[in-house]
Amino acid sequence: MTRLSRRERRVTLQQRERLAALAFISPWIIGFLVFTAGPMVASLVLSFTNYDVINPPKWVGLANYQRLIDDPRIELSLYNSFFYAALHVPLMMIVAMALALILNQVGRAAGFFRTVFYLPSVTPAVAVGTLWLWLLNPRVGLINRALALIGIDGPGWTTDPAWIKPGIVLMSLWSVGNTVILYLAALKNVPIELHEAAKIDGANPLQRFRHVTVPMISGTIFFTLIVNIISSLQVFTEVYTMFFGNMRSGTASSAGLFYNIYLFRQAFEFFRMGYASAMAWLLFIIIMILTFIQLRVSKRWVYYEGA
Amino acid sequence: MAVIEHSGRSPQERLADMIGASGSGIRQIIPRLLFIVLLIGCSLMFLAPFAWLVSASLKVRSEVFGPEWIPDPIAWENYVKVWEAAPVLSWLRNSLLVGVLAALSVTISSALIAFGFSYFRFKGRDALFNLVLATMMLPGVVTMIPVFLIWDQLGLVNTLWPLWAGNLFGSAFYIFMIRQFYLGLPRELFEAARVDGASYFGLWRHVALPLTRNALIVVFVFEFKASWTDLVKPLIYLYNSDLFTLPRGLKALLDQFGQGGELQWEIILAASVIVTLPMIVIFFLGQRYFMEGIATSGLKG
Amino acid sequence: MSKRSWYYFAVMLAMAAVMVFAAGAPALQLAEAQDGISGELSVMGFSLPDEVATVRVDRFRELYPDVELNITEGGLDQQQFLTAVASGNAPDIVYMSRELLSTYAVRGALMPLEDCIESQGIDMSQYRQAAVDQVTIDGQIYGIPEFFNVILVIANTAALEEAGLTVDDIDISDWESIAELNEALTRIEDGQVTRIGFDPKLPEFLPLWAAANGVQLISEDGRTPNLNDPKVVEALEFAAGLHEAAGGRQDFMAFRDTWDFFGSNNQFVQDQLGVFPMEQWYVNVLSDVSPDAPVDFLPFTDREGNPISYVTGNAWAIPVGSSNPEAACAFAKTMTEADAWIAAAEERARLRAEAGTTNTGIYSANVLADEVIFGEIIQPSGNEKLDKAIEVAVAAMDGGFGIPANPAGSEFRQAWQDAVNRVLNGEQTAQEALDQAQAEAQAAFDEAWMFQE
Repeated sequence: MTRLSRRERRVTLQQRERLAALAFISPWIIGFLVFTAGPMVASLVLSFTNYDVINPPKWVGLANYQRLIDDPRIELSLYNSFFYAALHVPLMMIVAMALALILNQVGRAAGFFRTVFYLPSVTPAVAVGTLWLWLLNPRVGLINRALALIGIDGPGWTTDPAWIKPGIVLMSLWSVGNTVILYLAALKNVPIELHEAAKIDGANPLQRFRHVTVPMISGTIFFTLIVNIISSLQVFTEVYTMFFGNMRSGTASSAGLFYNIYLFRQAFEFFRMGYASAMAWLLFIIIMILTFIQLRVSKRWVYYEGA
Repeated sequence: MAVIEHSGRSPQERLADMIGASGSGIRQIIPRLLFIVLLIGCSLMFLAPFAWLVSASLKVRSEVFGPEWIPDPIAWENYVKVWEAAPVLSWLRNSLLVGVLAALSVTISSALIAFGFSYFRFKGRDALFNLVLATMMLPGVVTMIPVFLIWDQLGLVNTLWPLWAGNLFGSAFYIFMIRQFYLGLPRELFEAARVDGASYFGLWRHVALPLTRNALIVVFVFEFKASWTDLVKPLIYLYNSDLFTLPRGLKALLDQFGQGGELQWEIILAASVIVTLPMIVIFFLGQRYFMEGIATSGLKG
Repeated sequence: MSKRSWYYFAVMLAMAAVMVFAAGAPALQLAEAQDGISGELSVMGFSLPDEVATVRVDRFRELYPDVELNITEGGLDQQQFLTAVASGNAPDIVYMSRELLSTYAVRGALMPLEDCIESQGIDMSQYRQAAVDQVTIDGQIYGIPEFFNVILVIANTAALEEAGLTVDDIDISDWESIAELNEALTRIEDGQVTRIGFDPKLPEFLPLWAAANGVQLISEDGRTPNLNDPKVVEALEFAAGLHEAAGGRQDFMAFRDTWDFFGSNNQFVQDQLGVFPMEQWYVNVLSDVSPDAPVDFLPFTDREGNPISYVTGNAWAIPVGSSNPEAACAFAKTMTEADAWIAAAEERARLRAEAGTTNTGIYSANVLADEVIFGEIIQPSGNEKLDKAIEVAVAAMDGGFGIPANPAGSEFRQAWQDAVNRVLNGEQTAQEALDQAQAEAQAAFDEAWMFQE
């Protein structure tokens, strides 16, 4: 074997490293091609067809997209999903932050409460939906009974279209534990010296929060913002369990028709896989635009230490 | 949890330590105690639904929506009825099987893939990784139907395979998380091993893996929870009730006995408890890992 | 072994376990080519809730001992069925509501049953025409009917008495008097409704109210929806208006949800309801759990006074991918023939006599069975009211009509049910809601009928 020059050896090393890296990454690449990229293309193609699963797909060009524009339930379900997201995300973040701040103040005792708050998050969504269907019942549910204790006449959470989404938001707040833990960890990561320094400068707690805490945890806030928006636009299981399924029709058929639920019905109850695919792509584009906007805006207010 | 030093601390001081007060005087303890009271109040609110669930599940049908918290009589037979009405044991077995397989496969594969993205430096690495991240934005519904068709072609619909085998190819979220840990490992460790003649796989296996054990456990526990609570995949892929996982089984019971059927709510509620309980037990056992996992995932976000 | 080997061993073990489980799951159905009917028969959409089902199934097992029955219990889950069909794992025979059946038939998911009927010698004239019509598309029969659920009106006599009325004062053909009755019987305490006067059972019974007003929701050929017909609008306005007395729809619905509908503390026992139309199988429930409840029965009539009934029921159909159509056909025939129903009725009579409850009959959609069941097996029970209920129900069968077979079952139902809900929520007027529903339904129909062409 001839002796390679140092340069040549470096190059070969590079190549070998590259190959090795690809070898490690290969499962993801395969998975990506087979389960992501391929299906994405396929679903795009499907969106140009009428496909009822029983018979082969039939090409219909832009008809499904035209239908997206004409179908009043698209607007309705998008409105429902956005309304929910608009209520859920800020509330979730505020409640989580409040709880995290309090937890941060009580030292070791926080451990027990942390667990309690997180418990609902490990409950399967189907059970959550079932449980809350009855918690929210206007006559016998716990929520209204509790409200009655303080003299409030609770609304019709499961029967009044105006209160269905707020009821669902209430249910979602039960699972706030996930975010609380995140915020708590972020809060604990704020170097105590910064707080001390601010105190010395005479800052009161509120000022400290605004100028020390928030910037330091802005990365986490941003993360939860994006993740929560994306997931809240895709709510399915709990609401489906509560109000749909098995050809049931109730008040919620309009007020509770979230985008993913309508998509599911179109695909599996109305035999319109092509249309459902078009709906999926619409959602994807919306999410991409939203995320892009957020990324842009975030450059202004998110502070990355050492970024 | 660190041990509180007992030597020379009065009960008051120990209390102050426990609740994080900066001193043991009344001025410091009172606000903290107030916070604790507040937290206790919130906890009760969070736990109340669980309490109601258990309580209602033990009531006879006509009492289910009654205002009493303690059932009278206690209807243990509700749980028996659930057991008889449905193959709950099979469901439990399926959920466990799928959960373990899903968690195991995603942990190993994500660890491998993350290594590829962290130890090595090659052209296009960052771009490719950004692609990985981008896939997190993809709504599941976009690929749901074609992926179903793929499994269908493979003849694996109505089996448990589609519920977990996709995890053999890693998952962006965990790849990201594990990568963060790898990036934190000192490079010298790897160089030393290289000098000793380790292969790349050996580097992963003998250096990276042991040092990130905690992170891997976190990934395992997380994915287990996600798989356990998932409804969509079992809904689409399974139709033999013996193959159902617990959430899917609960939904079937709901359709049969609940709103769509005979309105036997006490059975539904009992089934809900059965479906939730294992996860809560597992959670308590693996608590530490859950908490760590969530904490680390958000920080580097 | 080293730690590494443990890793791999565990993974291997897990995989092996999975393969064992997975392999067992989808049952391979090989219809053996024998002279007799044999092989496996997977049944989807059926459950075995009572003796009416189990007796007939057992009878099939006796007659065809070589057939291995595999019943996946539970009502038909559309999404499940579709997935099964899509992946080539269609069940061998499927049980679904007649309303839904045409949706699948039009799309070519179900086999036309001409051959089956001929080879098994099924006499279609034994089934009620209204039921057979519901499963006939373009002259082809796609299902064997089972059950013929008629509607009658159930009244709470205790509530009536309180208002100084009797059953004879109820005149279903006079809608104004229904409204008055509703007012009289509704009871509100502390601003909350504690008894509903007249529950029109919306949205499910819109077809009934429309028919009472003289129109159907779809044209007879199943191609043209008729949702915004002025008479349908009128019917909806009337029925929706009945909710007002209870303080509006939400209070009405929330209250109704709390009834122990199937239990011994049901709304008649607890005096939570005055009058409502209901499917006759509920009489069975009442006689079971609360035979002493203060109830009386009368027929539902249209505005001309003729007894009418909106009929629902199920049917057996054979999916195109069925791997054992011969056994499926034999099963459908055996489950719905007169002897099967008679055997079930006898068993029911026996059980009821033992328990001391009343036998309220079986409404099978099989005319021959009806003759025997109601002619011989059902005897006056001594419970006058329940006997009357049976009489009313039997008479209602002759005036029964069903929603004509149409290809967009789910969507059609969504269109009109959503319309009713919108009206009840006060979001739209009846006219607006039904206009919208009409447009949606028409679009769905047009699209679906395309498959037939």
